Amino acid sequence: MFLTIKRTFKEAISNFFRNGWLSLATVSILILSLYVVSVIYVVTLTVDGVLKNVQEKVNISIYFKPDVAEAKITEMEKYLRSYMAVKSVDYVSKEQALEDFKNNNADEPIIMQSLQEIGENPLQASLVVKANNAEQYQNVVDYIDKSDFKGDIGRINYGKNREIIEKLNKIIATIRKVGITLSLIFAAIAILVIFNTIRITIYTHRHEIEIMRLVGASNSYIRLPFAFEGIIYGLAASLISMVILFITIKFMTPYVSAVVPSENLIAFYSSHFWKIFGIQVLVGSFLGISGSWIAMRRYLKV
Amino acid sequence: MKAKINTTEDISKKDINKKEETADPETGNGIIIEFDNVTKVFKDDSLALEDACFKINAGDFVSFVGPSGAGKSTILKLISSEEAPTSGTIFFDGSPLNKIKRSKVPLHRRNIGTVFQDFKLLGKKTVFENVAYALEVCGAPASEIKESVPQILDIVGLGDKMEKFPKQLSGGEQQKVALARALIHKPIVILADEPTGNLDSASSVEIVDLLLKINELGTTILLASHDKEIVNKASRRVICLDKGKIVGDLAKSKYKM
Repeated sequence: MFLTIKRTFKEAISNFFRNGWLSLATVSILILSLYVVSVIYVVTLTVDGVLKNVQEKVNISIYFKPDVAEAKITEMEKYLRSYMAVKSVDYVSKEQALEDFKNNNADEPIIMQSLQEIGENPLQASLVVKANNAEQYQNVVDYIDKSDFKGDIGRINYGKNREIIEKLNKIIATIRKVGITLSLIFAAIAILVIFNTIRITIYTHRHEIEIMRLVGASNSYIRLPFAFEGIIYGLAASLISMVILFITIKFMTPYVSAVVPSENLIAFYSSHFWKIFGIQVLVGSFLGISGSWIAMRRYLKV
Repeated sequence: MKAKINTTEDISKKDINKKEETADPETGNGIIIEFDNVTKVFKDDSLALEDACFKINAGDFVSFVGPSGAGKSTILKLISSEEAPTSGTIFFDGSPLNKIKRSKVPLHRRNIGTVFQDFKLLGKKTVFENVAYALEVCGAPASEIKESVPQILDIVGLGDKMEKFPKQLSGGEQQKVALARALIHKPIVILADEPTGNLDSASSVEIVDLLLKINELGTTILLASHDKEIVNKASRRVICLDKGKIVGDLAKSKYKM
């Protein structure tokens, strides 16, 4: 058994190198397929990361009318906390709001000056509400609208990030759709090319195959070299595509970092290295095996 | 014509005697191949063999003769399970071939050595490698290959040409390489399908002598040929075929075209 695997694998390796150009073409098209699949995967990962980041920052602020008592606000805070979709509720008092405002605008003398001219605190107390996820903010708003507190509320400020989240969600969905379509197309092409390569290998080895059958080589011994050849294509392609992918990432990082601040992209991708590599090896071998299996079914008589 | 029929009867009587012998395992000289009403129709509806019945004893040397398309090659292909009969049963060493599993066909073929008119040698391999290949693909360890290939090549008289390539050899020598390859598994039956078809008469005689020698060592030989000189040289049992039918079965008879 071990001897069979050793000999058939050696045979596969020699077939791989003997048909140099054909192997190159086959591996190239496989690299392209795997590269497309993994680039799409990496892009999805990145956008997902951005989305999580932005989602952390989104919230709605509920501003109360100036004459609402603090006790009423506390009551509403409790009321909101009891709602399932709500992740957290923070009370920002009038004084706190003024403090934050002053901090944020310390560099703008005109604003500071006009604030002083007003004399009293123009800001209102508010509750900052975070939902568990972006889609639930509308529910939260509806929930407040239906409540008895509606009369006390001055205005509700949807976080400006909400639109970005919706856009990102749409982008991810589009990337996924395009990615899956492209991956399937490339996978089909790769299988066809491997099928054709193995078909040619079978043709060039027709005399050997005939003699193997004649002298009673087992069916698996006749088939294994072609199966191994398919796997070798898959493995070689996944290794090379992995290298190209990391070069791409390294090259792209400065540009992506501009869009996604405070993320160490190389570290981020490195943490996914084995996952991406595993997927590539599996997909590559699968494509290789499928192609040679179809060719063997059609052209290899045992 | 009458004489011929008598001979056939003699053979069948002889067969019956042999069959009785089979019951006694001590003799070891039983029936190795039996065709029982075997018919082969190819996919294009051409009838290759019709109701063939014959028995071959272990250690026999049997020639199949007849014009092209008579069914000689078909019989050999049926024995090596290259083709399956349309109807009827073939017994090989006591077991019916139609019951053999696809995965067991290779094991069956290791009991059989085959040589063809066109030698079927691999041009990129040396004489040694060509013979070694047969052992290699059946999973024999390298040590066994190193030991038995030179032995077999010595038997066919090519011990000094192991490193030559097929192109550097004469036709007769190439056929000897093919024969060595057929012998390497120590088969119990050798199927020779027009082994001398591409050879001059001197080489043909050499090949037949070699087949006779192998037969003397105990291997059953089935020779398909339309070369009467060859068949007469062998001077053994002859089964005559015409258009897929067995038209004669002669013991040690001279075959006339």
